[in-house]
Amino acid sequence: MHDLGTVLWKESAEFAGNRRFLRTFGFAVLIMGLLPVLSRQTAAAGASGAALTMFVSLLYALFSGVIVVAQTAPDLVLHERSGRTLEYLLATRLSDAAIFAGKVIVGAAVGYCSSLLTVLIQLLAVNLRGGGGAWTWYYLAEPWGRLLVFAAPAALAVYIATVGTFVALRVGDQRAAYMVTMLSVALLAVPFLLHILTLQFTMSWIAHAVIVLAGLALVLVAVGVRLFRREMLVLYLQE
Amino acid sequence: MAEAAAVVCTGLGRTFQGRQAVADLDLMVPAGAVFGFLGPNGAGKTTTVRMMLGLLPPTSGSVRVMGLDPVREGTAVRAATGVVLDQVGLYERLTAWQNIEFAARVARVPAAERGARIEAALRRVELWDRRADRVSGFSKGMRQKLGVARALLAEPRLLVLDEPSSGLDPINIVMLRDLLLSLVQEGGRTIFLCTHHLDEAQRICSLVGIIQAGRLVALGAPSALGAGAQPAVRVRCGRLEAEEIAALRLPPGAAFAGQTPDGEWRVTLQHPEDVEGVIAALVGAGAGVRSVIPEQRSLEDVYLSVVGGQVHA
Repeated sequence: MHDLGTVLWKESAEFAGNRRFLRTFGFAVLIMGLLPVLSRQTAAAGASGAALTMFVSLLYALFSGVIVVAQTAPDLVLHERSGRTLEYLLATRLSDAAIFAGKVIVGAAVGYCSSLLTVLIQLLAVNLRGGGGAWTWYYLAEPWGRLLVFAAPAALAVYIATVGTFVALRVGDQRAAYMVTMLSVALLAVPFLLHILTLQFTMSWIAHAVIVLAGLALVLVAVGVRLFRREMLVLYLQE
Repeated sequence: MAEAAAVVCTGLGRTFQGRQAVADLDLMVPAGAVFGFLGPNGAGKTTTVRMMLGLLPPTSGSVRVMGLDPVREGTAVRAATGVVLDQVGLYERLTAWQNIEFAARVARVPAAERGARIEAALRRVELWDRRADRVSGFSKGMRQKLGVARALLAEPRLLVLDEPSSGLDPINIVMLRDLLLSLVQEGGRTIFLCTHHLDEAQRICSLVGIIQAGRLVALGAPSALGAGAQPAVRVRCGRLEAEEIAALRLPPGAAFAGQTPDGEWRVTLQHPEDVEGVIAALVGAGAGVRSVIPEQRSLEDVYLSVVGGQVHA
């Protein structure tokens, strides 16, 4: 646990010092937060239109987390390589598991925060646009909305961060790593495209989907922690 | 209990896809020694260091570091070792303080002691005034100093320095050498120094090994390596033609081995005391001897001769 805390401290300090990332992150969250809410009246009208806008807003919030974690997770490994800090990191006493888990946790946390910040901005925008009436919780007023806002992005972020970290161990280029990581997100849609599963907007279905995704993510993390060996990265350096 | 040897390699070897990076390396670095590991690029120095740190398993033989097996006890080896690698590996987005703090956290320095230890490390390398600055703005020399400070923070028993002077300008090379000399004078720790700078190795190291194409080709104290070579003298004399040299009655095994650009003759000897016979022969031939100086073979001469270069004459 001590090693994990040390890796988390280092990664957090690096994020805090990465002004370029913070600017891009802030801009992306702002756009994803404001765009669906401000365009809602032109996009649709009436009760069904409001529901559609709400659904689109939720998708934006989820997608905000997806794109941020798909960029961040591989970059946490690739940046160590490009910054030539990787060998020092591997030459420390930090355990293999702490190095791997630390990267996954920080990558996932940044993506999760992105989703939550997007939701916060959407809520503020909806209420400001509402003209000072009673505060509305928007989709958070619904149980399925809370599930999609708080649980789904966490499971999705851990899944993508684990895949992204693995991808970065094999793919040296940031853009290629991002594309491969996004492909892993697209893979989640395959059962639906093949009609093995049918998308349903019921509380029960959403809860089950989140549980399955969280389970998949945790299995991937466990496999990663077990399989990750610093030798994998050293051999890459040797090449 | 202190170990007699800090590093012991026995038939150590490592191959990469059929290419032998290190082969049959037998090496013993005594505890407390300052060992210089010399060799051209790609000779196998970094691979050896990686095996010592448990970052790469050997494909043959074994290595023990402070009595530990890096393959099975890699964490313990790395905990007892401070490293400054070829690429110093400082985090550019972090400040000098944060970089050292990371090392302190890695070394599990208690929070109550951490501040004082970091301050001492930064003051030692004269970077205390720059503690709040990001490393991205540091010169190469400052980075190297910070790398050394980071490696020393945990007070390691073994300090591994892989090409610490690489890419430095002459002023920073001198600065870093002075820092290393101060570490050597402190004593109490083993230093394993991979370097291209033979002058640095000659001044600092008590033991030197030369590796070429993965094999150890020379091992010994810098002075002993030079002394083991064929003795020679440099002779300055009047005009001496080739026929006159051929007619000289030199002691057995002595021979003229060329002339230096500044006109000195290099004469190799079988034994150092043969110099008297050489002088007598030259005087007898009326060569007008002005000076005869025993040749001191530097580590550079030894290095160049064993790795296939030309001995300076």
